[in-house]
Amino acid sequence: MLRPLPHPLSRRTLVLSSSAVLGALSLGVLSACGDQDSGPEAIEIQPSAPEQPDENLLDELSLIGAYLGAIEAFPELRGTLTSIADQHSAHARELGATSEQIASVVPIAPAAARIKPVLAELIARERSAGALRAQAAQSSQESQQVRTLTFIAASESSHIPELRDVRANL
Amino acid sequence: MTYTDANAVAAIVRAIEAEQNFVYAAGLAGAYLTGGAKRQVLTQLAAHQGRLQVYSQMLEPSAVPAPPPAFKPPTPITDARSARAALAQLNNSLVGINADVAAYTNDADRAFAIDGAQLCARAAVQWGAPSQAFPT
Repeated sequence: MLRPLPHPLSRRTLVLSSSAVLGALSLGVLSACGDQDSGPEAIEIQPSAPEQPDENLLDELSLIGAYLGAIEAFPELRGTLTSIADQHSAHARELGATSEQIASVVPIAPAAARIKPVLAELIARERSAGALRAQAAQSSQESQQVRTLTFIAASESSHIPELRDVRANL
Repeated sequence: MTYTDANAVAAIVRAIEAEQNFVYAAGLAGAYLTGGAKRQVLTQLAAHQGRLQVYSQMLEPSAVPAPPPAFKPPTPITDARSARAALAQLNNSLVGINADVAAYTNDADRAFAIDGAQLCARAAVQWGAPSQAFPT
């Protein structure tokens, strides 16, 4: 079983930042105690930049929305598309999404009105997602994250022949 | 690059053994396939032989496992249907094996392993397996 990734990372960052702040505060208090002549100096704490949302997680959530939209527009494709959408939900969970976040994804209406162009659009999205995940795996510094992103990149690549099969059998 | 780190060596050794097994199974499966499927399995067989060589070059020669005297496919290959099923299963199992190599290698070697995982996951579906969130 794969272990979830980004949230522990974020929590760790938070814990490390908190530890640093506590450490700085303790030092300030200790130095104030040891020095009777001068009062404690003010401690400047630089506010940390707000954490950027994970690009891969956002893309997974967007893919789920695209599949939900395609299923709404073409219920006859429900079988295969629901299966692939569920896989993207599993990817999103692995990348740190909560069940609530996944459940709150709204369907994104497809740009095309006909079924084949919609499938072509999904194929293009999967190709792009596979490339994005492969690039993220390539640049990651953590071996577990590399492994997870490689699995996800592979899964997304495998959706391409599956969608092509659906299109060929219409 | 030649890897000596224990995790990397273990992952690459597993990849070499899995590729050796794939090459054997693909040869066996090819005997039961015809037309486009036969061409496809022969193309994949050649590609996996190439991958086997590349993985072997990532290790010291003494660390490269010798091919065992006999292989056993995951399921008996006795006709076209079982040949396709075995190829699908072997390709899916190679996804995780390539992901492990990616996890412990760098640069072009990692890119090679990631590419291998993607190729194998696609091939598994082409041989009739349903796609999976985490192919195994």
